Order: sequence, then structure tokens, then C-alpha cells
Amino acid sequence: MARTDKMICPKCGVEMNHHAMKVDYGASLENPGAIDPAFGGTLKEAHTCPECGMTELRENG
Amino acid sequence: MENRPLFIPVILGTARKGRASENVTKFVFNEVQRREGVETELIDIRELAFPIDDAGEQIKDAKFSATIERADGLVIVTPEYNHGYPGLLKHVLDSNLKEYIHKAVGVCGVSAGGFGGVRVIENLLPVLRELGLVTIFWDGNFSGAQKLFDENGNLLDRATHERRIDKFLGELVWMSKTLRHGRENISM
Repeated sequence: MARTDKMICPKCGVEMNHHAMKVDYGASLENPGAIDPAFGGTLKEAHTCPECGMTELRENG
Repeated sequence: MENRPLFIPVILGTARKGRASENVTKFVFNEVQRREGVETELIDIRELAFPIDDAGEQIKDAKFSATIERADGLVIVTPEYNHGYPGLLKHVLDSNLKEYIHKAVGVCGVSAGGFGGVRVIENLLPVLRELGLVTIFWDGNFSGAQKLFDENGNLLDRATHERRIDKFLGELVWMSKTLRHGRENISM
């Protein structure tokens, strides 16, 4: 299940914007258990803060 | 905050001695500096001391990552070595991921021959795409690199290259603005 809660910018404290999904192959090397077999890597959401522009990734689901 | 200036650093993608790409990078960097509403910084990969006994995000350089994090777009100046890009450039680029996602990138190819680095640009595009960057359709092409500049590093055919880089930067600035708006405001 995809997450629906908003990420909060650790710098600004405002809601970040979820604008991308990305397969992180490097993270899969670190944590093979997190590999999504459909994608061959760890599926991550990219969120960017509208105030400071910082981007954070988090695992999807 | 869409009123803050765009930040578009320029990466000099080779550490070799006698690199002809250095003069090209200075020229491009100066052209970016001249753009209103754009801030820039020159990143020389020779000055980044990345270890070579590991790779990827395990070897992140805090300053380099912070610069890319702040960036809205990137210019990469790369020489063409045996039709490919420098291994060190790939090593450096691979050290980040989240910092690149949905940001614009333009590539300037530098070659000794007459094709302006088109082969290295074509080879680099799929790497940039996988990193999450969005490539523009204009390139910078610098052929005959050893004869492009005088002994003081002045570009000899300045007018031609200024016209070409103006189009390249026009597209890069537009894409950087557009993607910033998208990253910050348009949800999936």
C-alpha cells in the first residue's frame, strides 16, 4: 500500500510535495529485503519542500 | 518560493592534466554568471577527494551534495575520451540521488576532433536520466578543443559560441524554472 501521509520538511516544518517515484538500486544493495520484485530495487517517493526546495526520499509503502 | 534566484552550478568533469575542458568550463561559467536571476558555482571534480574503494551514496561529499541539493539545474562540461565520459565524472555523479530528482541538466561536450563531443553527450544521457535528471535538447559542442582558445584562455570564435551557448542556457533556465515549479507545487 502506498503511503498517503504528507512528508514534513525537517528544516521548514511545512508539508512537502510528492512529485516523483524512483527506484533506488543502491538502497537495495544495503537492504536486500526492501527490494520490490516488480521493479528490481527499492521503490522510493521523492518529496520537495515548497519553501526551501530541499528534496527527501522515503520508502513507498 | 519561486522568487528566489535559480541556482545552476557548472561541473568541470575531468581531472586530467592539460585538460582542454577547463577553458570551455570557464567560458560557460562566465556565460551562466551573466544570466539575470541565476546564481552559479564552478565545481571542479579535481578538487573533490572521493575515495575509490567504494562508490555511490556511501562516499557522499557533504559540500558537493549540499551544492547539488540547492541546485535547480546543472551544466556538465565533459571531454570525450575514447568516445566516452571520464570514469571519475561518473564516480562523482553516482554519489548522489535524491539531490538530482526532477532537476534540469545540460551537457557541453568537448573534443579534439570535429564533432564537438556529440558521442560523449549521447553516452552520458542515459546515465543522467537514470539519476533522475531531466535533460534539455540543446547541447554545447566544442570541437577542436586545443585550438579554440589563445594562450591566455580567450575563446577565439567568441561570437559563434556565445550565440550557441545563449540558446543552450535559454532552454536550461526555462527547464530549471519549470521543474522547480513542478517539484514544489505539482503532486503525483
